[in-house]
Amino acid sequence: MANGSAQFAMTRLSRVDVEGLGKSFQLGGRRIEAVKDVSFQVRDGEFVSLLGPSGSGKSTVLNIIATLLPMSTGRVEVDGQPIISGKTTPNVGYVFQRDTLFPWRTVAKNIGYALELSGMPTAERRERVAAAIERVGLRGFEDAYPALLSGGMRQRASLMRTLVKEPQILLMDEPFGALDTHTKLDMHDVLLKIWEREKQTVLFVTHDLGEALTLSDRIILFSARPGQIKETFEVPFARPRDGVALRETAEYAELFSHIWHSLGEEFIKGRAT
Amino acid sequence: MPTLGWQAVIVLAFLSIWQWGWSLHAFAPWAVPDLFDPYFVSKPSEIWSTFLQLGCLRTDEGHYVSWTSGEFGQCLARSDNNLWLAIGVTMRNTVLGFVTGVASGFVAGLILGRSRRLSTIFNPFVVALNSIPRIALAPVIILAFGIGDASKVVTSWIVVVFLVFFNTYEGARSVNTDHINAARLLGASEWQVTRTVVMPSAMAWVFASLSPAVSFALIGVIVGEFIGAEHGIGRLIIESEARGEAAGMMVAVFVLMIVGTVLTAGIRRLQSYLLRWQDQHQADAT
Repeated sequence: MANGSAQFAMTRLSRVDVEGLGKSFQLGGRRIEAVKDVSFQVRDGEFVSLLGPSGSGKSTVLNIIATLLPMSTGRVEVDGQPIISGKTTPNVGYVFQRDTLFPWRTVAKNIGYALELSGMPTAERRERVAAAIERVGLRGFEDAYPALLSGGMRQRASLMRTLVKEPQILLMDEPFGALDTHTKLDMHDVLLKIWEREKQTVLFVTHDLGEALTLSDRIILFSARPGQIKETFEVPFARPRDGVALRETAEYAELFSHIWHSLGEEFIKGRAT
Repeated sequence: MPTLGWQAVIVLAFLSIWQWGWSLHAFAPWAVPDLFDPYFVSKPSEIWSTFLQLGCLRTDEGHYVSWTSGEFGQCLARSDNNLWLAIGVTMRNTVLGFVTGVASGFVAGLILGRSRRLSTIFNPFVVALNSIPRIALAPVIILAFGIGDASKVVTSWIVVVFLVFFNTYEGARSVNTDHINAARLLGASEWQVTRTVVMPSAMAWVFASLSPAVSFALIGVIVGEFIGAEHGIGRLIIESEARGEAAGMMVAVFVLMIVGTVLTAGIRRLQSYLLRWQDQHQADAT
């Protein structure tokens, strides 16, 4: 962690640069504009959420940055280099919404997967995997197959499978969207602890305002289709944060209702189209 | 009554009707069809004694072979009507045909399953070849490869390879794209994706084809032996048929049943180990 980010930390350089991004799909002869003219930057070590109703194109933007989707117009740079669709950008990790653990690998082998690919010696790999398992409280489940795990445990394993490679930029596509409320709050604490220690640059897609407020430094609000940036909010709450305690403070309630208002308008618009 | 009890009753009833059913023919011809004539289907007792003879366990004179006198060894050394030799030859050729068929079908299925372009080019050929009843090629194969073991292995290979190919192809096609994307984003190269994602997830499909593939491999070898062979269970059947010995044919059929069951059980064991990550196999693996 220390090597790359230290030199950026002084200047808070922008690590993800999105400029005039647009994406349209062809659907039964009709051209659908999913994302229109989206521009934003994510600075080094910043936690930014893309918030919006479903269909607002926030996941599309994330998937373009992750090189999973080609863009129609615009430009995306990661660490000053334009991304190439279909070619994985080094230093970037991605966490899926859906469960994508490999069901034929045990928890330990799933987490060690990226290290195995890079040819890391077995002994060193074991050590890193054991440390990762310890950090998310999965001890005792190393040799279990994903089918035996609960949703929350699977998502912890997924998170560590991405983090074990120590990516400095983390793209997360509604990673806790499928979890129940309690497990979700748990995962917020897990993620906050990791992030507060390692200060990755995070781009986090969600439609859950509470989640965005708990985690982020900045929230970028997307409008209903075509997805555009409607507004940006700074989230000034002190760090380190306690997800549960934070929700009881007055400043949280105030910012929540402020953004909720703006978000609500988009939900209504999204329903109308 | 437990399952095993019922199964024993069914087996005993079946064998009893087979053994004594024909005796009723004289009294009630309408109740016992002509097909039950021991000339065609033999009788369990005759089949058993023919088995003892063919298996070198009893001499032609009717006394049991003694292990110490070396009679068993002498009997094993003869090349005609030797059950053990026949089983050995047929099993070896079946396993060879099965292994080569599975290996080549798997590789071909994987390659075409991963490459849209190659699969488009080869699709009409695969469909055309697949529509040939493979057994129709057996005489051609005997002509080309002679009456030795090679022709049996090839016949067996040709019936197995398509089956495994189609299953692997479908398996490679139906890999979850999320898994492929996840692997790519974690740094996997094209070959690493194939090795660590496509192959393990296609395994379930491949294994679905292996039990029928074992039976097919055995069918291929037996048909090859029918047409022309020096040794083997198929040859034993043809010889017994020529001599009008139903018992000999039935011994061969029973042996084939046991060989097929053993091979299939082996595949099952391997499957439940390799696919232990799947829910339904977890119970037997632990």
